[in-house]
Amino acid sequence: MRYSPTLLDHFLNPRNAGLMREPDGTGVDEYEGCGDLARFFLRVREGRVSEARFQTYGCGPTIAAASAVSEKVVGRTVEELLNLKPQEVEDAVDGLPDDRKHAADVVAGALRAAALDTLRRRGGEA
Amino acid sequence: MSRRVYLDHNASTPVHPDVVAEMLPYFSERFGNPSSVHGFGREARAGLDLARERVAKFLRVPADEIVFTSGGTESDNMALKGLAFARGKGHLITSKIEHHAVLRAAEWLETQGFAVTYVGVDEYGMVDPDDVKRALRPDTIGISIMHANSEAGTIQPVAAIGALARERGIPFHVDAVQTFGKLEFDVNACGIDMLSFSGHKIYGPKGVAGFWVRKGIKLQSLQHGGEHERRRRAGTENVAGLVGFGKAVEIRGRDLKAEGERLTALRDRLWEAIRARVPDVRLNGHPTERLPGTANFSYRGVESESIVLGLDLKGIGVSAGSACTAGSVEPSYVLVAMGLPIEWAMGAVRSSLGRSTTAEDIDYVIESVEPIVRKLRAAMPVGA
Repeated sequence: MRYSPTLLDHFLNPRNAGLMREPDGTGVDEYEGCGDLARFFLRVREGRVSEARFQTYGCGPTIAAASAVSEKVVGRTVEELLNLKPQEVEDAVDGLPDDRKHAADVVAGALRAAALDTLRRRGGEA
Repeated sequence: MSRRVYLDHNASTPVHPDVVAEMLPYFSERFGNPSSVHGFGREARAGLDLARERVAKFLRVPADEIVFTSGGTESDNMALKGLAFARGKGHLITSKIEHHAVLRAAEWLETQGFAVTYVGVDEYGMVDPDDVKRALRPDTIGISIMHANSEAGTIQPVAAIGALARERGIPFHVDAVQTFGKLEFDVNACGIDMLSFSGHKIYGPKGVAGFWVRKGIKLQSLQHGGEHERRRRAGTENVAGLVGFGKAVEIRGRDLKAEGERLTALRDRLWEAIRARVPDVRLNGHPTERLPGTANFSYRGVESESIVLGLDLKGIGVSAGSACTAGSVEPSYVLVAMGLPIEWAMGAVRSSLGRSTTAEDIDYVIESVEPIVRKLRAAMPVGA
């Protein structure tokens, strides 16, 4: 099979898909030259992610990667997310084929942007 | 989940069991080289001759005007390059929605000093014969327009274009890979001079195809070697494959009309049900002047490959209108040429039905599509 069972499960039953009301931070990333797009919303309590939601436009692996990593980031600090690597996103779906690595890039990019936005808003409020 | 539904017949078809049976003896019993004079060779030659006669009978043309090739791509190259090289210079007319075998050959000929005009299509994917007429130049040496496009399935007005070509004495090539054995047509009435057609789209094996060229049309051979195929195409013929091709053509001659009507009804049933259940969906291609089994729908705002994957997981094989490779998504050039807005072109999915397709298959697909599209739209930043 081209895709892992984990990836297919998340593709068929995406977790945390959809908008979030009044998030503490949002971020978008679009893959250059490709229509794939991911947007993340974060809710943060005491410096840690309590909930992550996403919207995507892209091929199956992008949807699955966003869903899988939305579960993995809960409990992490916002600062940690600033350095989220695509490899970690890829690991969350048990690997991606070579021609679909961009799914991890775009999802990681959107989460990093959401983390940065959270810190900016926090700074703005202070 | 064990149900499997194949709806990608425009890509390829399963070989008909009668075709397999007819081919089998030619692998290890009648294995001779058809160019050999001995009995072994004569047996193979007889099989090859029968295949050629069957194809010729189906097309209603003389058997010695049929050239066997390795595929539609080779036939298309034979037409365009053969015509161009035989003349040395000049201008060709083709369309923007041709198969890559024609488009890339034409583009390459441009690098060799030939001029090419690529006429556009209307919103249904149809070429306007007047556009072809306007593109004519004193140095036009050939016109190549496909009979029907594999994606949209729109049937082109080849008879009108053929009349135009005949009036000017310009050779007219038609890539009929998607219509041969599916639609009834007469090459003489349509003013066609060269025709490309293939085996694996009509329940024959892959790697065998045909090229018909009217006597008197001068073509340069592209492959040099022996005297095969009346020196039009050197190389020992794929006898077993061609025997199968001939049988497949014979079967199509028998089944074409009834199956065309059956598939048209199933195709329309699919569209009516999908548009009743799924919001923001449109039909690509001409509503009526379309290949019997071709149904191309766009789901606005959804990326087509994710629908293909969702249906694949339900055992359904369809084809995506856009291709995502290594980080770049390309919408179909055919749909783009038809003027389809990008958010629609990116969500195009083609189903192509065939002889094994049943009403139950279509109902299963109808049931499967709606939840997949709904789920995908729920996760999307646009729509929903």
